[in-house]
Amino acid sequence: MEQDAQLVQQCLQGEGSAWEELVRRHTRRVFNICYRFTGNRAESEDLSQDVFLRIYRTLGSYRSAHGGFATWMTSVTRNLLIDHYRRTKRDRVTDSLEDKMPVVENKESAGRRPDEQALLGELGGQVQSALTRLSPELREAVILRDLQQLEYGEIQTILAVPEGTVKSRINRGRIELARVLQQMGVRPS
Amino acid sequence: MTWSCEQTEARLSDYLDGLLQPVEQTAFDSHVNTCERCTPLVASVSHALGALHTLEQVEPSPRLVDAILTATQGPQTWRSAKRWLRGLQSPRFVYSVVSVAATLLLILTASGFSLRKPKLADLAPATIYRRANSQVHLVYAHSAKFVSDLRVVYEIQSRMNENEQNPTVREGTIPQTSPSKDPGRTDGTNPATPRQQNRANDVGRNLQILAAECPLLSGSFGERSLR
Repeated sequence: MEQDAQLVQQCLQGEGSAWEELVRRHTRRVFNICYRFTGNRAESEDLSQDVFLRIYRTLGSYRSAHGGFATWMTSVTRNLLIDHYRRTKRDRVTDSLEDKMPVVENKESAGRRPDEQALLGELGGQVQSALTRLSPELREAVILRDLQQLEYGEIQTILAVPEGTVKSRINRGRIELARVLQQMGVRPS
Repeated sequence: MTWSCEQTEARLSDYLDGLLQPVEQTAFDSHVNTCERCTPLVASVSHALGALHTLEQVEPSPRLVDAILTATQGPQTWRSAKRWLRGLQSPRFVYSVVSVAATLLLILTASGFSLRKPKLADLAPATIYRRANSQVHLVYAHSAKFVSDLRVVYEIQSRMNENEQNPTVREGTIPQTSPSKDPGRTDGTNPATPRQQNRANDVGRNLQILAAECPLLSGSFGERSLR
């Protein structure tokens, strides 16, 4: 976290290499938040690019005393995702074929048997699909808590809502996700 | 304490995250074990949470980082050029350039190269070597002469100090010079070369100055020197 603050300072002093390092360190995280929110790879890459563009322009407004750089960056990402959601709300009629297709997960996939991998890939696709059916408020809360493993305090900072609201949204998001998965035929064995 | 379905549902995430107090945990368990509505709810949410945790990080396209950097800082070539130009501003580079320039200036000056009327022939290695060699010898000769003069003056000063401290030996230690000749000359002989004559004249002048500044010796060679 301190290293991020140091890199930000170097960026503000005009060191291009520091910005490059920041981008390399956080691209994966931003992309994953975008991907889990939209469920679309190409759209997520465009959004990630927009997120970093906005961060690059507003880097001077970041204050390390108000929280870590990752929290601030996640907050920027979330705001942009909500803007994007509102902007494209009318355009979304049906999920595209690409949205429904499960994305190959890269991490730790090498050690699994093919049948396990297929099952996980199928389940992962279903969970991703269920996630995108949640309302944006519940979706972002579940993504930040259960996929980004953030603490309640950090989520509170990012969403700018009281902690009680954060807990309530996470709880309702999980229950709603379970209900959608049941509707999709995914039930506990 | 018994909980209702609403209470249980509201605290479901706390239960799944292990945040319930022991008393709350007991109340939660006792309700879920007896409620036909809450039992499947807890099982399904627990399963959904487990499924969420199986989701793995998705790797972005390798081109994404480059695309972001291009969008923010411009194309790769421009970024490299900016980095290179920024490297030129480092203090280390500036010191190096100044050092090299000073060294070159020193070499050119030592080789007699005229900056006002520069000639390409002056930059020939043989010319530079010859002139530098000549300059070095000249400097060496000047240095040797300077040191030699210093030694003479120091010798005279030490003799005068000895005379001041021990007046009884004054007569014996003061150099006897011929009244008809300048100090520094040997008796009855002329200097072999003009350089020797110049040197003798220098020493004579030094002696006159010393005698003027030291009145104690005015009765001996001082008067004669000033004469």
